[in-house]
Amino acid sequence: MPKKIRSKVSNTVSGTKNFFLGIPRATRNLYKEIPHQVKSFKEWIFTFRGSLTILCLIGTILVPLITMDDYIMTILISFLVFSIFAASWDLLAGYTGQVSFGHSVFFGIGAYVAAAFVKMAGLPWFFSMIIGAVAAILVGLIIGIPCLRLKGPYLALGTQAFSLILFNLFMSGELKDILGSTEGISALPAMSEAHIVTFFFILIIMVISFIILTIIVKSNIGTIFKAIRDDETAADASGINTTKYKLIAFMISGFFAGIAGGLFALNSRAVNPSVFLALYSFYAIVMVALGGIATISGSVVGAFIYWVILTELFKPMGALGTIFLYFPTLISALILIIMIRFADQGILKPALEHIREFYDFLLGR
Amino acid sequence: MIFQIENVLIFGTVQGSVLALLALGFSLVFGVGGVLNLGHGAFYLITCYVFYLIWRVLFFDLIISIILSLIIAIIVGGVVYLALIKPLQDSHIGIVIVTFAFAVFMQEFVKVIAGIKPHYISPFIFGSVEFLGVTFPIQFVFVIIGSLILVFLVGLFISKTKIGKSIRAVSQDREAALLMGINADRILMITVMISAFLAGMAAILYAPTSAITIDMGWSFLLSAFAVSVFGGMGSTSGCVLGAFIMGYAKTFCSVFISPTLATVFPLLVIVVMLLVRPQGLLGKKEV
Amino acid sequence: MGVILEVKNLTKKFGGLTAVNDFSFEIKRGEFVGLIGPNGAGKTTVFNLISGFEKPNSGSIRFDGMDITGLKPYQIVNLGLVRTFQLVRSFHYMSVLDNVSVACLSPRGKKASEKVGLDKYASRILSEVGLIDKARFPPVILPHGDLRRLEIGKAAGTNPQILLLDEPFSGLSYEEQEHIHALIRRLSNEGVTIFITGHVLRELMNLVPRVIAMHQGKFITDGSPQEVANHKLVLEAYLGRGGGIA
Ligand SMILES: Nc1ncnc2c1ncn2[C@@H]1O[C@H](COP(=O)(O)OP(=O)(O)O)[C@@H](O)[C@H]1O
Ligand SMILES: [Mg+2]
Repeated sequence: MPKKIRSKVSNTVSGTKNFFLGIPRATRNLYKEIPHQVKSFKEWIFTFRGSLTILCLIGTILVPLITMDDYIMTILISFLVFSIFAASWDLLAGYTGQVSFGHSVFFGIGAYVAAAFVKMAGLPWFFSMIIGAVAAILVGLIIGIPCLRLKGPYLALGTQAFSLILFNLFMSGELKDILGSTEGISALPAMSEAHIVTFFFILIIMVISFIILTIIVKSNIGTIFKAIRDDETAADASGINTTKYKLIAFMISGFFAGIAGGLFALNSRAVNPSVFLALYSFYAIVMVALGGIATISGSVVGAFIYWVILTELFKPMGALGTIFLYFPTLISALILIIMIRFADQGILKPALEHIREFYDFLLGR
Repeated sequence: MIFQIENVLIFGTVQGSVLALLALGFSLVFGVGGVLNLGHGAFYLITCYVFYLIWRVLFFDLIISIILSLIIAIIVGGVVYLALIKPLQDSHIGIVIVTFAFAVFMQEFVKVIAGIKPHYISPFIFGSVEFLGVTFPIQFVFVIIGSLILVFLVGLFISKTKIGKSIRAVSQDREAALLMGINADRILMITVMISAFLAGMAAILYAPTSAITIDMGWSFLLSAFAVSVFGGMGSTSGCVLGAFIMGYAKTFCSVFISPTLATVFPLLVIVVMLLVRPQGLLGKKEV
Repeated sequence: MGVILEVKNLTKKFGGLTAVNDFSFEIKRGEFVGLIGPNGAGKTTVFNLISGFEKPNSGSIRFDGMDITGLKPYQIVNLGLVRTFQLVRSFHYMSVLDNVSVACLSPRGKKASEKVGLDKYASRILSEVGLIDKARFPPVILPHGDLRRLEIGKAAGTNPQILLLDEPFSGLSYEEQEHIHALIRRLSNEGVTIFITGHVLRELMNLVPRVIAMHQGKFITDGSPQEVANHKLVLEAYLGRGGGIA
C-alpha cells in the first residue's frame, strides 16, 4: 500500500476513534445547555412558527378523540413519519449546507434493516428500528466520506447516484435471495394490536426526535454546522475541521432519516425498493421548503401541509379517477419551483415569512 | 463465447451512441453555463411520451411525428431555460433544486396523463438484420447511424458556425467572451435547446427498442452525468469518447459478469471519478 | 525571542505566471511586520501559502519550529497561526456574536474560552473590536468597516500566536482606518505577533517598525519603513506601475 494512502487510512481510523471517544463529552455538554433551551422553548411557542407547529401537533393529538377511522390514522401516521424524515434533511441541508438529493438512501436502509430484523430475527420493533437507524448512520459514513469532497450541485448529483445504485441493487433479480428483489420484505407483524396505540408510539418518537434535533441545532455543534453552511472556507480559517463536522451532520441526519424509514416500513408492514427512489428524496426537500428551510420545526408544518392538507384536498377527487391521487406530488413540485424561483433573498428565506409578518401584525408587534 | 464478443461490440455501440447524444447536451450546458441540469432526463422522458402520443395515438405520419416531437422538446428546453435557469443563474444550488423539481413534476405529469403502465413505441421498421453473426432489430441501425450523424453535425456546428464558435468561447473563458461582446445568456439558451434536441433525438431513436416508463428519466440523467464526469465536464470530445467506452463497458459487464452490475456501472463510475480524477479523462475544468 | 515564522524559498506558479518566486523571510515572536507591494505583487498568495489555502510548488514554511508546509488550514489555525481575508468573509445568516463564537469553538479557541464561558468570552472579544452593541445583528447589514473589525475579531477568537492581516485598511475611510490601527496596536501590545499587508505604503508607514517589500512575486528588501520607502527598486515598482507612494 502506498505510504500516502496508509497514512490517510490511519488518520481516518484514529479520527473516527477520537470522534467516538468524544461522544460522551459532547453529550454532557448538550445536557448542560438544557435549562437555557427550555427558556428559549417557552419564547418559541409564542412566535408564529412555534404557534403553528404546536397547533399542527395538538390538532393531530386531538383527532383520535374524535375519530379512530383507519384511513385518517394512516394519513396522520404518514405525516408524523415524514416530518421526522424532513427534519433530518433540514439538519443536513438547511443547517449544514450539504444539499443531498439521495436522502432516500438513509430512509430506505432504515426501512429495510428494521424490517429484516423484525422478520428474520423476530426482534421487537423498537430495537429493530434503532438497529435500522444505526445502519443508516454507517451508510451515512460510507456515502459521506466520498461525497464530502464535492460541493453544491455535485454533492446533489453524487448522493443521488448512491440512491440509484441502491435502488438497482435492491431491484436486482440476481440478488433476490439476499435483498428480496421487487417484492422486498412483506408481511411484517403489526407494531401493536390497535392502530391508535401505534399512532401514539410514533407520535412520542416523533416528538422526542424533534426535541433532540432542536437541541442539536441550537447547541455549539449547531453553530459550527451553520458556519460551514454559510462559508466553508471561512469556517476552515476559523480553525474548524469542516470534514469532521460534515461527517457528523451526515451521521446525525442519517440516524433520524433511518428512524423515519424504519417506522415507515414497520407501520406499512412491508417495504420494497421504491423507498430508494428519487421521489422520496423529493418529499424531504419539498416538505422542508414548504415549512421553512433551517428551522427544524418547520418540517412539522411542511409535512402537515403535504400529507394532510394536499393529500386530503385531492382525495375526494380520487373518486373521479386515480389520476388525482398523483396531484399532491405534481402540485408540490410546482410549488417548490415557484418558491425557489421567486425567493428573492436566496433559498434560505423561509416561505412562511410573508404570513409571519401578518401574524406579527395581528399581535401588534 | 466467440459470438458474445460480437454481441458486446454491437450492443455496446448502440449503448454508446445513445449515451453520446445524451451526455453531449448535458456536458455542453455545463461547459457554457456551469449549470447542472437535473431536468435533462426529463427531456428524454417527455419526448418519448410526446412521440408516442403523436405517432401511436394520434396516428400522424412518422416523419411528421418525429419533427413535431423534436420541436416540442426544443420548446421545453427553451422554457426550462427562461423560466428556471436564467432567473437563478447566481445560485447553482437553486438551479439544481428547481430542475430537480421540474423532473419530478414532469414525471408526475406524465403519470397523470398516461398512467403508470409501461407503453411501447414500435420500431420505425419491423424486422432484424444479421451482422457479424449477431441478429438484432433494424432500429439499432437507426440508432447508430442517427447518432453518428448527429454527433458529427454537432461537432461541425460548434467548430464552423458563428453561434458554435460563441458556444466554445463562452465555455472556455466566460469573462473574455463577454468582453468580446458575446451575449452569454442567449448562447446558454441555445445550448439548453440543443441539449433538449439531442436528448429528444436519443429518445426518438432508442425508445422504440423497449418499453417506456415514467421513471426512466432518472437513470438517463445519471448516465449522462456519469459520461460527462468520465469524459470531463464540458469537454465534447471527451464526452463522445467516454460515451462509447461506457457503452462497451456496460454491455461487457452485462454479458460476462452480471446485468445488475451493468445497471449500477455508470453510477459507480460517477463515484469513482469524482473521487479519483474530478476533472475527467480529457477535461480541464475542476469540479 | 525566537523565530516564530520562517519561510524559505517559497515558490508558487499559476500556469505560466509565477505569483511567488523564491521568497524567504523570518519573523520573530512578538514582532510587528508589514508586507508591502503594489497590487498583484503576490502578497495574498504568500498569505494563502502560509495559511495552507494553497500548496506551494516548492519551498518550506516553519511555524514555531514545526514544518507546516502542506497542512490543512484548520490544522494551522489550531497551532496558533491565523489569517484574515482581504475580501472579508463572514457567516451571513448568523449573528455577529455567533460569527466570533465559531472561532471560539475551534480547539484552540475552546481552551481559552472554557474558563470564562463561551458567550462571555466571545462578547469580550466583540467589545474589544468595538462591535458589542451589534452582537445580535447579522453581518450582512454591517458597513464595510465593521466587517473588517469582525474579521479581526473572528481571527482573535481562535486565540492566535501570530495574526496575518491581509489589507485590513483597503477601502476604509480615514476614521475607520484609525479604529483598526488602534485595534491592531492593542493586539500587538498584548503579545500577538502581527504580519500585515498593504499596497499603499503610507498606510503601514506609521504603524510597523519593520517592512518587507515584494514585487512581481520576488523579495525586494527588508528593513525600517524609511529604508524601504527610499529603496530604488521599491520606488520603481510603485512609480513604474503609476501608483504613488505618498
Ligand atoms: N488562484 C489564482 N489563479 C491564477 N492566478 C492567480 C490566482 N491567485 C492569484 N493569482 C495571480 O497571482 C498574482 C498575485 O496575486 P495576489 O497574491 O492576489 O497579489 P496581491 O495580493 O499582492 O495584490 C496576480 O497576478 C494574480 O492574478
Ligand atoms: Mg491581495
